[in-house]
Amino acid sequence: MGRIWAVARNTFVSAVRMKTAIVFMAMLLILLPILSLTSTGDGTAIGRVQSFVSYGLGLVSFLLSMLTIVVACYTLSSDVKHKRVYSVVTKPIRRFEFVIGKALGVILLDLLLLAVFSGVIYGLTIQMPRFAKTSDEELVRLKNEFFTARASLKRTIDEQALEKQTDDVYKELVRTGQLDESRSRESVMAELRNAAKYNMYAAGPGGTVLWEFKKVRPFDANESLFIRFKFNAAQTPADKSLYGVWYVGDYRQIQGGPETMKTPIYQIPRKDVVGTMREFEVPADAVAADGYLAVGFYNEPMNGTTVIFPIEDGFEVLYKAGGFGGNFISAVLIMFARLVFLACLGVSLSTWVGFPVAILCSLTIFFTGVINGFVVQSFDYLGQNLTIFYSVTIKPLIWLLPKFDQNYNVNKYLIDARMIRFGFLMLAAGVLLLKSLILLLIGFFIFAKRELAKVVI
Amino acid sequence: MVSEKSQFAVETFGLTKIFGDWWGRSRVVAVEDLNLKVNRNEVFGLLGPNGSGKTTVIKMLLGLLHPTKGRALVLGGVSRDPKITAKIGFLPEESYLYPYLNARETLDFYGRLFGLNSKVRASRIDALLDMVGLAGMASRPIGTFSKGMARRIGLAQALINDPELLILDEPTSGLDPIGTKQIKDLIVELAKRGKTVLLCSHLLADAEEVCDRMAIMYGGHIQRLGSVDELLKQTNKRQITTGVLTEDTLQKIRSIVEKHGSEFEVSEPMQRLESYFIEVVRQAHKEKRPTSGAVNRLEATQADATAAVSDVLDRLVSAKVETQKQTEIKKAVETIAIEPDKSVLTKLTQSGDENLTTPVSKIDKPVPDTQKSENIKKNILDELVGRQGLAEDEKNG
Repeated sequence: MGRIWAVARNTFVSAVRMKTAIVFMAMLLILLPILSLTSTGDGTAIGRVQSFVSYGLGLVSFLLSMLTIVVACYTLSSDVKHKRVYSVVTKPIRRFEFVIGKALGVILLDLLLLAVFSGVIYGLTIQMPRFAKTSDEELVRLKNEFFTARASLKRTIDEQALEKQTDDVYKELVRTGQLDESRSRESVMAELRNAAKYNMYAAGPGGTVLWEFKKVRPFDANESLFIRFKFNAAQTPADKSLYGVWYVGDYRQIQGGPETMKTPIYQIPRKDVVGTMREFEVPADAVAADGYLAVGFYNEPMNGTTVIFPIEDGFEVLYKAGGFGGNFISAVLIMFARLVFLACLGVSLSTWVGFPVAILCSLTIFFTGVINGFVVQSFDYLGQNLTIFYSVTIKPLIWLLPKFDQNYNVNKYLIDARMIRFGFLMLAAGVLLLKSLILLLIGFFIFAKRELAKVVI
Repeated sequence: MVSEKSQFAVETFGLTKIFGDWWGRSRVVAVEDLNLKVNRNEVFGLLGPNGSGKTTVIKMLLGLLHPTKGRALVLGGVSRDPKITAKIGFLPEESYLYPYLNARETLDFYGRLFGLNSKVRASRIDALLDMVGLAGMASRPIGTFSKGMARRIGLAQALINDPELLILDEPTSGLDPIGTKQIKDLIVELAKRGKTVLLCSHLLADAEEVCDRMAIMYGGHIQRLGSVDELLKQTNKRQITTGVLTEDTLQKIRSIVEKHGSEFEVSEPMQRLESYFIEVVRQAHKEKRPTSGAVNRLEATQADATAAVSDVLDRLVSAKVETQKQTEIKKAVETIAIEPDKSVLTKLTQSGDENLTTPVSKIDKPVPDTQKSENIKKNILDELVGRQGLAEDEKNG
């Protein structure tokens, strides 16, 4: 361990004294405060902090990724190129220890820089509402919609149950001979599936749409639940508004009678415009002790039309599940895992290729990671015809590619004040660390086998 | 791998290295079927012109290159084994150091690689910096060092673990004469303390002074191998050194020698440039002239210098001097100072500058012109390729 540490320290010290690291640091230290003053977003207080956090973290993440790639690709390959390895690997250090030391040195540098700059961003974000005049109303909104970490509840469809249900219906149709002979099973099933889903999200006049959630854990019962919804009407009424009553609470209690009521059931009559996202607040004590929560929407018969909630974004319950600080740390940890991956990637590549090739590969992989969803989709599409060949060759390689986009874009969570769940954090960081380990193992293998001296005659 | 203590510090078995191009074509044989045995506690010189395979051998010994065939044992084991590397000190052909670290940090880094604890590291680093004359520059980044100063740090790092086997690749390249002298003194001192030194060089004068045995390589093969005395002794010549003699006495001696049918030549022995240079610098040092370069320990006499190296080594090296070896090496060092006749310089200047040598009489039979110029050409060539022909010359008389 002492030897690994010696190499890591050496790498860290060299990297800090390299002018590139200083330039990156200076750039960030100048840019971040300027950004905090110039970020305006949509002009509101919340818009300002949102755009600052988004650009600030984006900038730090990008610049540190670049720095990591440069340093990681440089440190080992330059030791080989400038023959400094000669007097290192001939000392009692195993070659894999040397490789670990190199990666660890770069990771230490990342840890330090990320800690400093995320600290700067955090401090500036907290202070930003004080830079400009902010009304009390805006402060409340900031508190509820930005400086918090909200968990989101959405209906998860049990695909297996749905499949069984549609299959039963299909069999029933076949038995009763109601099917058109010319239609394939697939097309009938697809239609039935869609109809079943639609039924879960729609209610005719006097009907109800019900959402049930388990394991809801609000941060504090005195906080609020935020119900965000958007609905459409089968026939849009003249004033484009629909009447309805929302019931929020543990509806299982109703069967037991009023004396068994432990948690309140809130009843909220509302009139809302169709097709727009609306949000209202309910006290969080509606959640039952076992974490059960039901939300029902009663479609007033006077509407005279069917109400439909879009499947994707029609309904969501948000509630405070943690603080901004904790969420911020989670986001930074995912960013750190990303940098660890890039450090291992650079070091692993430079165990067998020189600096220019290593940096080119690293950059390509980094930018592929940024558009990972697109790449995976296109390969999946192109690979359909290759089946076995595809699944044993390209697929594992694509799996090795990092994912920095979509769900893994941590900025989105902070801007929307969405809770980064511990499980997600572990998964995102764990997968990246696993990939890093695989890359390092490849690096160990190559570095242990290769001839470190150049062929000179 | 091999647990019992091998009698050889370095042993190779049919060691072969063939370099191919990317496709494995146009193969170049760098080292072929090399069976080298370096005894423990000897200073062994691996000599040869550029591209003769010396460095390739060293790189294979240290595991930096994989042999195509054969194998090498170092201190009875494979050099990839940390137990073995812990006992080796290696100075590569150039000092490849971390430019952003300062001298002390550099040595500290290498000390850590040997797992030395901080107390041991600190004391050894002080002693080493002192020895290589860089104590005053310990906190300057290596990147700002001149080649020779970097070389000194390179030497210091090779000694930080008190190695049993010291592998030095061109140890004196880039060093000033004083540094060169110190390294040679150091090698001699280390040998006295039971260390093995494998020296790889094409600076023949340096090797000649310190080596017990040497091998001359050419084309990946060992051409000659033996002790310095065996290889260099001129059995058909004798040299007499005296004080200043009158012309009369010289005539007498000449007549005696000629009576015995032998050649006779008188010259005033020149002081070697090395000792002259050291004398000048020593003088300046005594007058305390300022310098930004390495500060050498310049003792008043050679004996003092040896004693100084010995002092530092007492702090660095576990083993103490084995006395019986001392005289042998001293002898080798001394003889070189008065050995002018076969030197390339003399030959090259014979036809021109008569001041250097003073041929006394007709005995200086001129060789036929063609042969002479051929000789000169050959010697220039030897000079250019690193004097590899020396051994052949010796053999041919």
